[in-house]
Amino acid sequence: MLVDVVQNTLDGLMLGSAYALLALGFTLIFGVLRRANLAYGPAIMLGAYAATWVNLQFHPGVLVLAAVTIAGATLAGTYVERLCFAPHGRRGAGDAAAIASMVGSFALWMQLEEAATLWLPKHLYGFPPLYDGPPLGLGPLTLRVEYLAMLACAAAACFGLHRLLNRTRFGLAVRAVVDQADAARLAGINVPRVFMLVFALASALGGLAGYLIVAAHEQVTPMLGMWSTLKGMIAMMLGGLGSLPGAVVGGLALGLIESHSQWLFGPQYRDLIAFLILFALLAVRPSGLWAMLRRSPAPAP
Amino acid sequence: MDEYALGVLTNVGLFSFLALSAYLLLVAGEMSFGQQAFFGVGAYAAGIGTAMWGWPLPVAALAAMALGAAAAWLVGLPTLRLRGLYFAMATLAAAEMFRILFELVHYQRTIDGELVGPDGTQGFRGIRWVLERGIEQETFLAAVWALVLLVLGAFALVERSRLGATLRMVGEDPELAAVLGVNVARVKLGVAAAAGALAALGGALYAHHNTYVEPRNFDIMLGVHSLAYALIGGLGTALGPLLGVALDIGLLESTRVFQGYRMIVFGGLVALLLIVRPRGLLDELTVNRVAAALRRRRTA
Repeated sequence: MLVDVVQNTLDGLMLGSAYALLALGFTLIFGVLRRANLAYGPAIMLGAYAATWVNLQFHPGVLVLAAVTIAGATLAGTYVERLCFAPHGRRGAGDAAAIASMVGSFALWMQLEEAATLWLPKHLYGFPPLYDGPPLGLGPLTLRVEYLAMLACAAAACFGLHRLLNRTRFGLAVRAVVDQADAARLAGINVPRVFMLVFALASALGGLAGYLIVAAHEQVTPMLGMWSTLKGMIAMMLGGLGSLPGAVVGGLALGLIESHSQWLFGPQYRDLIAFLILFALLAVRPSGLWAMLRRSPAPAP
Repeated sequence: MDEYALGVLTNVGLFSFLALSAYLLLVAGEMSFGQQAFFGVGAYAAGIGTAMWGWPLPVAALAAMALGAAAAWLVGLPTLRLRGLYFAMATLAAAEMFRILFELVHYQRTIDGELVGPDGTQGFRGIRWVLERGIEQETFLAAVWALVLLVLGAFALVERSRLGATLRMVGEDPELAAVLGVNVARVKLGVAAAAGALAALGGALYAHHNTYVEPRNFDIMLGVHSLAYALIGGLGTALGPLLGVALDIGLLESTRVFQGYRMIVFGGLVALLLIVRPRGLLDELTVNRVAAALRRRRTA
C-alpha cells in the first residue's frame, strides 16, 4: 500500500515534469505577449513528425532525433508567430488583438495538423526510445530512465530560463518589455524582435518536451498536437497564468493528480478528476497554486 | 436537390446554433471554449426523449433547451466573474467533464427488439424519430432553417432594444455598466443560460439529423470551431456567425476541390483574413456604417 503510494507519487512527479516542460513554453509566450498560442502543441507535433520521418529514412541516433524535433517545433512556432502574432500589434494592443491572435493560432493549428498527417498519414508510427534497457530498481520501486531524463531536463530548463531571464542582456530586454513595452521601445529595445525570439525559445522548449514525450511513449500519433496544447494549458492554469515557477508547480501537480487518481479510480475518472480540480481551482482561486503556496494576496483575474 | 447539398445545407443550419451560442456570450464579453457541452446535453436529452420515452421531437427539443439552459446556468454560476482566458479554461474544463460523463452513461432499453440508448463510449444509436415519421430531408432542412431564422429574428429584436444595448455595454465595459446600475452578474448569467439553450436546440436537431451521436462528437474541437466561426464572421451582427459557418462547412467542405487540403487552405485563409480584418468580416464598425447608410437612404 505505502509502496504503491510512493511509486504513484514518483510516477506522478516524472509525468508532471513533462507537463511542466510543456507549460514552461506556454507560459513564456503568455507571460511576455499576454496572448495564448493554441498552435503551440501542433508546432510540437510537426517537429515530432519531422523527426519520425528522419527516423524512417535514415535511422539516426537519439541526439539527431531530438535536434530535429526541436528545430521543427521552433520553425513551425516561428511561422505561427509571423502569421498570427506579429501582425496584430504590440503587447497591450487590447483584448481584440489578443483574441485575433488566438483565433489565428487556432486556424494554424488545423493547418499544421493537416500538414503533418498528409506528410505521414498512418495513425501510429513507432519512435525509437531514448534508452533501451530495463527500468532502474530502487528497492521495491521502479524508475524509468526516460522519466528521469524528463525530470532532469525540466530542472535544467528551469535553471537555464532563470539564468537567461535574470543574468543576460536578452533577459533584461525581455523583463523590460514585460514591465512596459512602450518604455522598452523608447530605450532602444527592438520589441518585435524580442517577441519573435521569446516565441522561438518557447517553441524550442516545447520541442524538447515533445521529443522526451514521444521517446518515452515510443510512438507518434496525430493526437499529439491537441494533447500538448491541452496539457500545457491545464498545467499553466493550475500553477497560475503567466508565472514560470507556477508552470512547474502546475505541471507537477497535474502529474500527481493524474497518477494518483488513475491508480485509485481508473483512466476515465483520471481525466474527470483533473478537470474537476482545474474547474474548482479556477472558480475559487483563479490565481493558481503557486500564488497559494506563496500565500500572497490573490490578484484579480 | 441532391442528397449531398441537402446534407451540407442542413449542417450549416445545425452548427449555426452553436456559433450563435458562442456569439451571444462574446457580445456579453465572455469567450467560452465549452459551448459544445450544451450541444451535447441537447443531443442526449432530446435523443432519450424521442427514442426511449416516445416523446414527440418538439417536446423533447424544448425539454433539451431547458436542460441546456440549466446546465449552462450551473456552469456559469461559479465562473462568470472570471474573464478572458480564465473563463475560457473554466468552461473548457466543464465541457470536458460533460464529455467524460457522456462516456460514463449507460442507460439502455429494449424497444421493438432493439437495444436503444446511450452506451458510454459506444455512443447513442437509433435516434430515428424523424425517419420513422417519414419526414423528408427537405422538410427537416426547412424546419432547421425556419428555426435559425426565428432565432435571427429574436436576435434582431434584442439588438434594437434596451436589452441589446445593455448586453453590449456589459461586454464592452462591465465596470461602467455596473456603475450605471446594471446588475452585471445577473445579465451574464441570463446570457449564459440563453446561450446554453440555443446550443442545446442545435444539439437536439443534430442528434435527429444524424440518428447517432457519441461523446467524442462533443470534444474541444467543436467548441473552438464554433468560437472561431463567430469571431471570423464578426461580432457586429448575428449574421456574422452564420457567415463563419457557411465559409467553413458550406464553401470548403462542399467544394471537393480542396479534398484532403481543406484545413491547409482554411487555416491559412483565416490567419490572413484576421490580419486584414482582426475583428471579423462583419465587425461592429462595418455593421454600424451599413446601418447608417441605410438610414440615410430612407430619410433622403
